[in-house]
Amino acid sequence: MTALIELNGITKVLKGQEQPRTILDGVGLSVHPGESLAIVGRSGSGKSTLLSVLGLFDRPDQGSYLLDGTEISRLPERRAAKLRSSHFGFVFQRFFLLKHLTAAQNVAMALVNGQGWLPRRQRRAKVMAALEEVGIAHLAKNRPAKMSGGEQQRVAIARALVRQPRILLADEPTGALDTETGTLVIDALQGVTARGCALILVTHDRDHAARMGRILHLNEGVLAEQKVAA
Amino acid sequence: MIRLSGRFRSALIIGLQGIRARKTRTLLSMVSLFLGVLAVVVVQAGASIAERALLADMELQRGIDGTKVMGMAPQPRVSEIIMDTVPGRDDAVAVVGVSAIIGEPGVRPVNPNASPFDEIGFYGMPMVCDATGNCREQTPAEAGPEGQAIEVRLTALTGDIRQFKPFRPKSGQWLDFGSVPSMAPRLVLNEEAAKGFERYRVPAEMRVPGASANMTPQLIGVVDDGDYQPRAYVRMDEMANWIPATKLVDPSMGEMNVLMTGDTPVEQVLTSKLKAINAEPYVELINSRKDQEKELALMRLIFLSMAGLVLLIGVAGILNVGLATVGERVEEFALRRAVGTPRALLAGIVLAETLITGLLTAALAIGVSAAALKGVVVLAGNSEPFLQGVVFPWDAGVAGVIAGLIAGVLGGFVPALRAAGIPIATVMRA
Repeated sequence: MTALIELNGITKVLKGQEQPRTILDGVGLSVHPGESLAIVGRSGSGKSTLLSVLGLFDRPDQGSYLLDGTEISRLPERRAAKLRSSHFGFVFQRFFLLKHLTAAQNVAMALVNGQGWLPRRQRRAKVMAALEEVGIAHLAKNRPAKMSGGEQQRVAIARALVRQPRILLADEPTGALDTETGTLVIDALQGVTARGCALILVTHDRDHAARMGRILHLNEGVLAEQKVAA
Repeated sequence: MIRLSGRFRSALIIGLQGIRARKTRTLLSMVSLFLGVLAVVVVQAGASIAERALLADMELQRGIDGTKVMGMAPQPRVSEIIMDTVPGRDDAVAVVGVSAIIGEPGVRPVNPNASPFDEIGFYGMPMVCDATGNCREQTPAEAGPEGQAIEVRLTALTGDIRQFKPFRPKSGQWLDFGSVPSMAPRLVLNEEAAKGFERYRVPAEMRVPGASANMTPQLIGVVDDGDYQPRAYVRMDEMANWIPATKLVDPSMGEMNVLMTGDTPVEQVLTSKLKAINAEPYVELINSRKDQEKELALMRLIFLSMAGLVLLIGVAGILNVGLATVGERVEEFALRRAVGTPRALLAGIVLAETLITGLLTAALAIGVSAAALKGVVVLAGNSEPFLQGVVFPWDAGVAGVIAGLIAGVLGGFVPALRAAGIPIATVMRA
């Protein structure tokens, strides 16, 4: 099967310090549709930087990044933004919900982003479907302040899913949650692989990592496969 | 229906959400901008009203724009030609001015030479000329003993002059050129002449040089003609009962004009006839607006510059609030970029917010100015003639909207650039 994502020799050097520091050192990675994988490693090992490169937040200094076989490592920002909108969903450790918006409006934020325009009715239907998918449609009119941490993270997941991305990038999404709520969040994230969306999870939690199809270990900028799920 | 682009709609929706979420900040921005926009609106409205008042006064004295004024030396032969050509026409009115004294016969008027009543003697004594053409001022002894009489400029008209000079009625009525001429000439006074008749009790007897007898005038109305000299308007044909039109001339102090529309053949006919007797007329096309353009533009520029300075202070306020707001919303903007919002739209969101704030402020400033003007007109409209019928000028509203938009763009430009430059990766590591 053709890889959805293909990284080859990705290198990222942190400049602006006394000594330039290599954060990613020739990283190679293939991700297929519907696949789930976890990236683990110590703090500062480059996990978030790798996720930034994967999510087109940042450009690698060297290497190639193929998405559906197309080189995208040097895309201009305008096209990168379009790809982020159409192909990627993001979930972060901090939920980054806007406190002045309701859950539905927070989810709709990903639809009102200048990449095409949906009429209000269609927008609302998509938002409600995404909230339904993570099991919190009944909280659509609630503002973040009236929701628990787990509910807020599920709103963030609904926001990531509302455009039906092909790749979901999650950066320690359970880091601010208790174990039980974290498990529910991982359940919700794993659900997306069933429809062909690839899930890349950055986590410190071994149990959550173990639930992914593959575990990759990042150490000193070098990525290595840790185990293959049976 | 105009279909707005998705990006524009997105900017509007997010901008309005931002304003709703930060009402106090928006209010503070509006407060800082309000005085600036108000200054622009007030200056523009004031300039428009002043221009209107100035032009209205000039219309009274010189005539409305587009009027042609043919002036000529007051001579009997010229008068004869005018009376042969102009009476009975709708597109031209002959105006002949002579001196007239109303009151006791054989006395010196209280205002020799038709001086204004608050400046008696301002025009000196009437001139007398000998056969050789040498002229000098009359002595008081020659003018006779002072008595109860008023001197006015008597202006005889062949038709309704108000189509060229829109006199403002003050009381009574205007001359009716459609009725049968009266033996007792009907006079319409200007306000200065009316002041004299209020101040002095004078008999109703009018003497005009060259008339066969003194007349008994009827005072039928008062108008504002913008003239500081006492003046009385009369139908030419009513004067003709007492004095032939050819004798209704005052070579030393008289006036003889024909006011006409721009396209009348009267000009050509009169010019030809007058040239034939070597009386070259001069013709002036009234264009007060153009004549005053430079002065008005300069006046407006000076005041708008001052208003612009006040507006700049408002822009500094909105810029300050905008920068602080962007600083607080770094995570929001980074998140928006993460979900695919282009940098240009982020800048657009910030600009939309400042533009909406500018427009709201402009609407408020325009509303306050219009209400204040209406209040002033209601309270002082009766005592200040130039305020009568004044409405809020639309160009002041346009200026306010433009000022609001400019302030929005200037105040939002730097915050917009800053918002567009927020890196996603840095923030997502927070």
